[in-house]
Amino acid sequence: MSAQKKKAFQIEAFKHRVVVDPKYAEKTWKILEHAIHEIYNHNASGLSFEELYRNAYNMVLHKFGEKLYSGLVTTMTSHLKEISNSIEAAQGGLFLDELNRKWAEHNKALQMIRDILMYMDRTFIPNTHKTPVHELGLNLWRDVIIHSHAIQSRLQAILLENVRRERSGEVIDRGLMRSITKMLMDLGPSVYQDDFEKHFLEVSADFYRLESQEFIESCDCGEYLKKAERRLNEEIERVSHYLDTRSEVKITNVVETEMIESHMHRLVQMENSGLINMIVDEKYEDLGRMYCLFRRVSNGLVLIRDVMTSYIRDTGKQLLTDPERLKDPVDFVQHLLDLKDKYDKIITSAFRNDKTFQNALNSSFEYFINLNSRSPEFISLFVDDKLRKGLRGVTEEDVELVLDKVMMLFRYLQEKDVFEKYYKQHLAKRLLSGKSVSDDAERSLIVKLKTECGYQFTSKLEGMFTDMKTSQDTMQGFHASHGSDIGDGPMLSVQVLTTGSWPTQPITTCNLPAEILGICEKFRNYYLGTHTGRRLSWQTNMGTADLKATFGKGQKHELNVSTYQMCVLMLFNDADQLSYKEIEQVTEIPTSDLKRCLQSLACVKGKNVLRKEPMSKDIVDTDTFLFNDKYTSKFFKVKIGTVAAQRESEPENQETRQRVEEDRKPQIEAAIVRIMKARRVLDHNNIVAEVTKQLQSRFLPNPVVIKKRIESLIEREFLERDKGDRKLYRYLA
Amino acid sequence: MKRKDTVKLISADEMEFVIDKDAAMVSQTIRNMLTSPGGFAETELGEVTFPEISAVILEKICQYFYWALQYSRGKETEFHIEPELTLELMMAANYLHT
Repeated sequence: MSAQKKKAFQIEAFKHRVVVDPKYAEKTWKILEHAIHEIYNHNASGLSFEELYRNAYNMVLHKFGEKLYSGLVTTMTSHLKEISNSIEAAQGGLFLDELNRKWAEHNKALQMIRDILMYMDRTFIPNTHKTPVHELGLNLWRDVIIHSHAIQSRLQAILLENVRRERSGEVIDRGLMRSITKMLMDLGPSVYQDDFEKHFLEVSADFYRLESQEFIESCDCGEYLKKAERRLNEEIERVSHYLDTRSEVKITNVVETEMIESHMHRLVQMENSGLINMIVDEKYEDLGRMYCLFRRVSNGLVLIRDVMTSYIRDTGKQLLTDPERLKDPVDFVQHLLDLKDKYDKIITSAFRNDKTFQNALNSSFEYFINLNSRSPEFISLFVDDKLRKGLRGVTEEDVELVLDKVMMLFRYLQEKDVFEKYYKQHLAKRLLSGKSVSDDAERSLIVKLKTECGYQFTSKLEGMFTDMKTSQDTMQGFHASHGSDIGDGPMLSVQVLTTGSWPTQPITTCNLPAEILGICEKFRNYYLGTHTGRRLSWQTNMGTADLKATFGKGQKHELNVSTYQMCVLMLFNDADQLSYKEIEQVTEIPTSDLKRCLQSLACVKGKNVLRKEPMSKDIVDTDTFLFNDKYTSKFFKVKIGTVAAQRESEPENQETRQRVEEDRKPQIEAAIVRIMKARRVLDHNNIVAEVTKQLQSRFLPNPVVIKKRIESLIEREFLERDKGDRKLYRYLA
Repeated sequence: MKRKDTVKLISADEMEFVIDKDAAMVSQTIRNMLTSPGGFAETELGEVTFPEISAVILEKICQYFYWALQYSRGKETEFHIEPELTLELMMAANYLHT
């Protein structure tokens, strides 16, 4: 049937109704007008919907739509005027109640009127482009009631007063507020905005401007932030309870601007309670609050990040230039790690793991770690300490944890090659003295270094491990073939090291005691017998020895000493007293090493197997040494301190630096040649930039050095300067 | 409760049709009559008088209501209309907003 009801049909009125009574329209309208009055007076139950609908229907059909519509407007307006008067008459607090009640009534009446006039709504209004009944009712309500002079300002004032009372802690009727604001929204977004929201925001801004001023004078930073957070949450809650949800952004903006943005510099820098103090005192909750609040305003996080970064840099710089701290490298690195842990924890727990903060932290660490050129050495020393003793009896997971942390510091280093140099030295000492706690840990660290810096970086370190393994096999073979003819003589254990893989040591020979020399010869013959074309040289400065010694009262001890110390002690098998000069002559140990080894034999309490005349701390050329019969020790085995890895002295450090610089030269040259081979022609600045980029993972080349290398390559005719443009270089194949 | 479920439609010649409320509400006009707030007589009594619709047409209309319900539930059949009723039915449809 609906299919047949096409617009194309011109619908005619019922035939029998065509009798057009001139009074007909007037009469029908009277009926309808009466009905509208009844509806407003809550008397509708007696009315017949069908009759009213039919009347309205017929009026529209008989072209009296215009009359019906204007009649409706007039009638409704007059009713609203009455309502307006009754609302105006309401006293004080009852005003809102009255307004709300009347609004509900009007809505219901409007609904009924719209229903009976539905035919007009459906046909007449769209055709004549008039406002539909429901909207008309709302518009009239807006114009007659809300915008009536007596009501408009009063309504505004009451609403704002209610908000103010709630802000100061009083309880207000939120349900009523909700209905009123909903009414304003129903009347159209512009009504809500112009008649309420605009003023609400202005008043709020004033309120918070004053309040924040008051707070900032009287509270410390943490407390202020707490208050600001509470206010912010209150506003959000207020919006959810009785304001339009779209107001949330606007009002929170007001609070953010007034309470945070306009005070943020002062808050961050607040004395005794600002950002720095929070970081120092590890106030995660306050920091988290600050992060959440500042995140809301533009530049808020940037401010926090900048202040934090400069603080980290300053403290880091202090730490790295504090000579007290630098005395103990292990402690120093541990301190760095603790510092990193602390900031990591702040970032994870208070700054929601913000990536930009992590980056800022990383770059700060990178900045200050590289301030001190000895950082690579210290980090390697730290690893050395951990792998010698620190990690003993620690579970595998914890070992990994420590190693990962070390790797993290390693990543910050710019001079990774310097680290490699030191690491190699320290690793060599650990391997040769068998002091490493765990082979697995050593290997795990090397794997980590490999993933970080590539195969090239660790190939030599791995070579060292291979040497250790082959040496073990070699020694087994040696003992198997020669074990019988050694008999009671000293046992020998040799590590055969490949030159190049191990840190180069100046070959310092010494005269070994005859007993040892014999067995050394046997090993040499054995080794060269199986491996032809090789050369063996003894690194006596790196070995250790176990000696059995019998002292005055007949007590026996096993002394664990270095090769040098062994040489010295063996002399006392034949003599009770020897002068420094005599010892030096016989052993031919280099002076500094000899002094150090004598010092550890004679001057360390509890380990003084020798006596020195005269007694003093230092060794001088005129000293005489005696075998100490009165030596006692609680332990059977006595370890005489071999000189463990220590931070280098200043000249040694210089030397290492120089070696590193030397090693860098070929790397820089190789990089230049690689680049030029690909590019053929390139200008100076670009070469420097590319070389720096290529070598970044290992170290930061100095532009001056690069320039020198380029010059050297030009001299050796790898490159030439362009004849026209002196800044350009050409690659010569 | 009972009155809620059915509704009585009365034609101009006072023929009464009692049909389900659901079916009657196919007509937008009847729907408004029965649901408008404020309690019109139709809502109170559950009956509607149509002084301009004859019993023949109203019967056809009631049939249409049930047909439309079924149609909306997916049963697609033809609704037969005698040609002589067409005009009057159409006018009633306009009135009832069906």
